[in-house]
Amino acid sequence: MISSSSAKVKPLILQLPAWRRRALLMAVLLGFAALLGRSVYLQSIRTDFLQQKGDARYSRALVLSAHRGMVTDRFGEPLAISTPVESIWASPPDVTINADQLKKLAGLLNMKPSELSKKFTNSEREFVYLKRRMPPEQAAQVMQLDIPGIFMQREYRRYYPAGEVMAHVVGFTGIDDRGQEGLELVYQDWLSGKPGSRRVIKDRQGRIVEDLEAVKVPQDGHDLKLSIDRKIQYLAYRELTRAVEENKAKAGAIVVLDAKTGEVLAMANQPTYNPNNPVNISGKSRNRAITDTFEPGSTMKPFTISAALEAGNFTPETMIDIGNGAYTIGKNTIHDVHARGVLSVSQILQKSSNIGTAKMGLTLKPQALWSMYNQVGFGTPPHSGFPGEVAGRLRPWKNWVPIDQATICFGQGVTVTLLQMARAYGVFANDGELKPLSMIKLNEPPIGQQVISAKTAREMRDMLELVVQPGGTAPKAQVVGYRVAGKTGTAQKVENGQYANGRYIASFVGMAPASDPRLIIAVMIDEPSAGAYYGGAVAAPVFSKVMEGSLRLLAVPQDAPTNNVVIPPANLPEVGEVV
Amino acid sequence: MMYMLSNRDKITAPSYDQGLLWVALLLLGFGLVMVYSASIALAEADKMTGHNSTYFLVRHAIYLVLALTAGFVAFQVPTRVWQQVAPYLFIGGLALLVMVLIPGLGREVNGSRRWIPLGFATLQPSEFMKLFATIYVADYTVRKAAFLDSFTKGFLPMLAVMLVVGGLLLREPDFGAFAVIASISIGILWLGGINGRIFVGLLALLVVGVVVLIMSSPYRLQRIIGFWDPWADPFGKGYQLSHALIAFGRGEWFGVGLGASVEKLLYLPEAHTDFLLAVIAEELGFVGVTAVVVMFAWIVLRAFGIGKEAASHEHHFSALLAQGIGIWLGVQSIINMGVNMGLLPTKGLTLPLLSFGGSGIVANCVALAVLLRIDWENRRLAKGVPV
Repeated sequence: MISSSSAKVKPLILQLPAWRRRALLMAVLLGFAALLGRSVYLQSIRTDFLQQKGDARYSRALVLSAHRGMVTDRFGEPLAISTPVESIWASPPDVTINADQLKKLAGLLNMKPSELSKKFTNSEREFVYLKRRMPPEQAAQVMQLDIPGIFMQREYRRYYPAGEVMAHVVGFTGIDDRGQEGLELVYQDWLSGKPGSRRVIKDRQGRIVEDLEAVKVPQDGHDLKLSIDRKIQYLAYRELTRAVEENKAKAGAIVVLDAKTGEVLAMANQPTYNPNNPVNISGKSRNRAITDTFEPGSTMKPFTISAALEAGNFTPETMIDIGNGAYTIGKNTIHDVHARGVLSVSQILQKSSNIGTAKMGLTLKPQALWSMYNQVGFGTPPHSGFPGEVAGRLRPWKNWVPIDQATICFGQGVTVTLLQMARAYGVFANDGELKPLSMIKLNEPPIGQQVISAKTAREMRDMLELVVQPGGTAPKAQVVGYRVAGKTGTAQKVENGQYANGRYIASFVGMAPASDPRLIIAVMIDEPSAGAYYGGAVAAPVFSKVMEGSLRLLAVPQDAPTNNVVIPPANLPEVGEVV
Repeated sequence: MMYMLSNRDKITAPSYDQGLLWVALLLLGFGLVMVYSASIALAEADKMTGHNSTYFLVRHAIYLVLALTAGFVAFQVPTRVWQQVAPYLFIGGLALLVMVLIPGLGREVNGSRRWIPLGFATLQPSEFMKLFATIYVADYTVRKAAFLDSFTKGFLPMLAVMLVVGGLLLREPDFGAFAVIASISIGILWLGGINGRIFVGLLALLVVGVVVLIMSSPYRLQRIIGFWDPWADPFGKGYQLSHALIAFGRGEWFGVGLGASVEKLLYLPEAHTDFLLAVIAEELGFVGVTAVVVMFAWIVLRAFGIGKEAASHEHHFSALLAQGIGIWLGVQSIINMGVNMGLLPTKGLTLPLLSFGGSGIVANCVALAVLLRIDWENRRLAKGVPV
């Protein structure tokens, strides 16, 4: 113990114990050593973990969008083009904006200032779209305001110059530039190309600081040249639209085929929609020519008759007694409206006699008849390459009873699409050869399949020419300067398994010039309700106008004098048909 | 070692500690470079700076000129003068700490009231209080040498003074400055030979006190939680630390290169002040961190060496003051770097001599000037020249 006397002496000799100094110094140096140890740990052992955390915060994979290919008609006229647009987005936590800027920005974005500032106060998100797909000039004005935290993003907008005229064929893309409908959907991979990517480090304000790896350059999509002829398409659309309106019809469709190649030159539907702004399109977006089946009615008869001619039992001049307009098969009776007595095969087709056609068809084995229908494409998808195309219904011949066979002969109890029907008529146009369909422009005609003999095909064409002559069902299908061959159809619609009263599908399928057909046009008008409903009255005029315009556009040589059109006298009764 | 030198060597030998001076100047220069590097992005992005990228560089350079001038002046002041004015400086420091708390005088930034605006610059009293407290405690220990064994006469007055200082600092709040000043005080008392039992009791009291302080204030508790596991809430409480750690991880051994830090691009808050080391670690890697640590260790070693020399001349005040300055710079740099590396909870302490901040740089330079002055006096004494 220290004595009190020694304590008084102590201030004169303040001891600074050396061990205390050393101990303290050691403690501090140990602190430095600990720091170095920790530094080694963080900078050599934990690096992977820490860098991964860092990457998660500021490295970003940027998608470099590829330019979507253009869709054009067969002459390279654009039907779908991608134009660059800019989307304006904001990072709310980084936005600093004054009242004046807010007002200007709101004006440019066409928004209310209050609405806009609400988006900026949403500080939980670091990415908010302010306006998508603005015209580049307008977006540039926004960027000129130079507001921190507001950015621009390049996107592409799909533009369809032909609008509703081509809507069902071309379709449209969604907001992510992916095909949603039509050929945009079918050829998505071809058109879209491969987007590139770029991995970058961004600073907190979203500016790119450096690239982390090599930039993957985007591969632009390919252009797609359709078989469509834009001018014929416009013409077809215009005439179809007019007919649907005039006849107060529910819907309509038209298909124009190149008879030599099987290319689809035009395909239009009503109702339609604007693919540039595809909203509320349910019920309008269907490409009816491909997706909607209907009982064809009389347009089926030429195939029955050609099957009978092929079998060798008949010639166009063979006379058939069709009686008094009623013919009983088992318990069922089939009827004719106008045709009576004994008619030649040609007349049976011209007058569209159900009984005559049925009598001819019933001479054939069910299998032979079925095989004819099947070979021209009924009951199987037409392989147009379109989404949603359907096969139609052609029941197996083994299940047929005689009345089935009889009705199928004139187009009842069987369903087809308009495109199938147009294609099938190619058999007559092409001297018996059935060409495959194509929506894409072909460089040379494809090889088809011989279904009937050339002789039968020509005989059929000759007979079909009579249909548009006075005394036939479709004088209104005539075209100035060209011989026309075709057939009307007036089918009662089936609803809930019953034939619905007063609801018809009027159709006309035909070709011209009949001497060497170049075009096949099929028209279908669904539920005309302005009085007329015969195919010859409703669909044939559309055919005539489109055919006339198209042949002229294609500069097809005439095969008839320009005064060939024979208008039936007004007092001559209209030749109607019940199917 | 002096006795081994010849008379001629004594006269031509340098009259000041060149090594210490150069290390200090090296740190200051390095600080200028790193503050610029760390602050470019912030200065460009900030409206307050007028989007001027050299905003912080220019100010830091002005502070350096001011600090070197202040250091030059301080070097002229004999140690005994510091001892004479120690209580007045301390009282002056206390007055500043009171002023900073008065609304209208003190300026509040981010919930802390630590700055007094002077028009052309802002004054941070706590930085100067570190210097004044070091001088005061050294003087106190010398004055109370006789009572260092006594609890009531030796320790209690110091405890009371420290409670006042601590109370004022925690009102700001500036927990970091208090930790540094408490470390300096305890360190000097320990070196001065305070009774071992009192010292142990004091440490125990400190631990209890710190725990109570942390528990009493939610923001401190948050900082503690963030430091334990920054990845638990990396975008909230652990945001700053997680970014600092990422900076270290990105730097690896040799760094991503001067100027190439990504963290400084507004991700890491306070990159040019409290978290400057993280930017150094990212840009210059482990090598850069090691250089900083070694330079600070060098300063501490020299401070203790100078203190030992002064003690050998029985200049007890000088000895304690020199070592107190060593403790100050050592403890503050260790705490700052520890915070940067996630070893210690976030404090709000700058890295001495390096970080941006006028008051800190000036106070640090004056302290180093005092240290150099003590060494200069030691050398005079060794040569038998009066100081």
